[in-house]
Amino acid sequence: MRLKFGHAACVAVLLTATAALAQSKPVAGAVAEGSLKGKTLTFVSYGGIYQDGQAAALKEFVDKSGVKLLNDGPTEIAKLQAQVESGNVTWDVVDTDDLPPYVYCGKLFQKLDLNKLDVSKIPEGQVGECSVPAMNYGVVLMYNTEKYKDNPPKSWADFFDTQKFPGVRGIDGSGSPTGGLLEQAFKVAGGDPKAMTVADIDKAIDVVRKLGPDTIFWKTGAESQQLAESGEADMLMMWTGRAMTAVKNGAKYTPAWQDWLVVMDQMTIPVGVKDTDASYALINAYLGKHSQEVLAEQTSYTPINSEAQPKVDASVSAFLTNSPERQKQGYKQNFKFWVPNFAVAQEKWSALMAGN
Amino acid sequence: MSALDPTTPSAPKWAGRAWRPFALTLPALLLLAAVIGYPLLTIVLRSLSEPQWGAQNYVWFFGTPVNLTVLQRTFVISAWVTLVCIICAYPYAYLMTAVGPRVRLALVLCVLIPFWVSGVVRTLSWVILLQDSGVINSLLRSAGFDGVRLIRTQTGVVIGMAQVLLPFMILPLYSVMKGIDLRLMRAAQSLGARPSRAFFTIYLPLSLPGVYAGAIIVFILALGFYITPALLGGPRSTMLSTLVQTQVLSLLQWGRGGAMGVVLLVATFVLLALAAPVMRSRYREAGRR
Repeated sequence: MRLKFGHAACVAVLLTATAALAQSKPVAGAVAEGSLKGKTLTFVSYGGIYQDGQAAALKEFVDKSGVKLLNDGPTEIAKLQAQVESGNVTWDVVDTDDLPPYVYCGKLFQKLDLNKLDVSKIPEGQVGECSVPAMNYGVVLMYNTEKYKDNPPKSWADFFDTQKFPGVRGIDGSGSPTGGLLEQAFKVAGGDPKAMTVADIDKAIDVVRKLGPDTIFWKTGAESQQLAESGEADMLMMWTGRAMTAVKNGAKYTPAWQDWLVVMDQMTIPVGVKDTDASYALINAYLGKHSQEVLAEQTSYTPINSEAQPKVDASVSAFLTNSPERQKQGYKQNFKFWVPNFAVAQEKWSALMAGN
Repeated sequence: MSALDPTTPSAPKWAGRAWRPFALTLPALLLLAAVIGYPLLTIVLRSLSEPQWGAQNYVWFFGTPVNLTVLQRTFVISAWVTLVCIICAYPYAYLMTAVGPRVRLALVLCVLIPFWVSGVVRTLSWVILLQDSGVINSLLRSAGFDGVRLIRTQTGVVIGMAQVLLPFMILPLYSVMKGIDLRLMRAAQSLGARPSRAFFTIYLPLSLPGVYAGAIIVFILALGFYITPALLGGPRSTMLSTLVQTQVLSLLQWGRGGAMGVVLLVATFVLLALAAPVMRSRYREAGRR
């Protein structure tokens, strides 16, 4: 009798414990069978192989939960704002750039309830108030090995030094300024990026301007890749994914990893979605080890689950940014500065982009 | 069966009334009101009401030097594009009137086929042709010349835009030219005019309405170009649409973006109003001759 009672108590305790665990501690990648049957979620990202890879990473989630997943895109914050303003939000989970979830936190993006997500495997310092990372990548300095031969550039300081390293530069001109690059430019101007002020943005942009009229501002990732493959720029600021593809396609370029700029895409839940918990379930599944492996294998972006071990070939792993060595060389932008000053920086950067 | 139903009225009540033609344009008018009128009104309102009511967005526009530079540049590039289109389209349209129906069909197809290809595709093709290691520069180099910088320059942008917009110049020109009686030219020559004289005093004035129509269409379309200058141009050939895009999509400053659009629209109207008297007098002159 006593034994029986003890047994039952034990089971009860265990049951409550697991139930409590299941409620308060979600596990990244786990999803309850049939939990979202009959529901529809719209996932928004940037299209191309990236979003295809994300869809593949979410396949297990879709199969298990029974949710109907719609893909939309590309992500445009203005479109999202229109949805939030009109009270008709059709985007349930949105993949965005680095800064928007910080700039519009609470306005366009929900503050995340971290009890509903397992963020324990995400690299340190990447979980925001309104976002978790979608993947990691880098902005890296690529140089033409045939042009610089024995005396290659080693840092962003060399990138900005046209005296010692003559040649055409290619810079990301796809829209928004890259905080990390401006900080590196500010360093060249003799400043300390950690103590940057609004007035210093001009000084940083002046360093970029001084690169001269031959500087190419590429508009799309594809264009940057094309600049490398055709050899039209001697030094290029490139996204690691594009850099990898260019090298694979035979571009005679190699990265200078010192102070590569750490960047990421973010996963967010817009304000006013119809089923917040379903959105959380999607993100939580996306953060799982297996999902992140699939993502990395399909897109060659760096997974954000530290346990993920994607099977990729050497040309891909050369550009993954999560090895201990790369982590040490990476440069993180001063988020605290750029978030409140995003608009000012964008204005000044746009003026540079418009030839002023 | 229902058609034979005696209760079905055989003709609408308003049949035969004088305003019937207007009723026929109603679908088009409603469509225009919905897809042009309403959004335009919203743009004007937002340019005056965001973030507060007032002229702040216009004050900002005219107080920021880069906006004025780019506005001016937008008009200059559009004018160049229009000029290049006239020069290229005029002989082409003339040739279309002078040849037999088969060759004409081929010429029309040559104009229209690229017209059916997406502007993005055509612009990317220009990237391949114009870039430093591209087709044009390789040919120049193999012929012993120095390469020329075409991509990311204003010249490159003008070339690419002119190609995209050429059909809008050729087609109105052709429709006017095919109505010109070529016997007039022969008559002039029989009266002793040299061919060039006959062309400048008879043919050119008669074809001017086509030039004006084409020029206005090309110029106005060019003002709003976005993809071509973005892909073929560099910072010094950025046009206003790019700045609008930054304000609206990146900074969510819809008021400012709206103000930029309104300024461009008003500037275009002013320019057309200035050009109108000249064109009208030319029209009349051409009609008289």
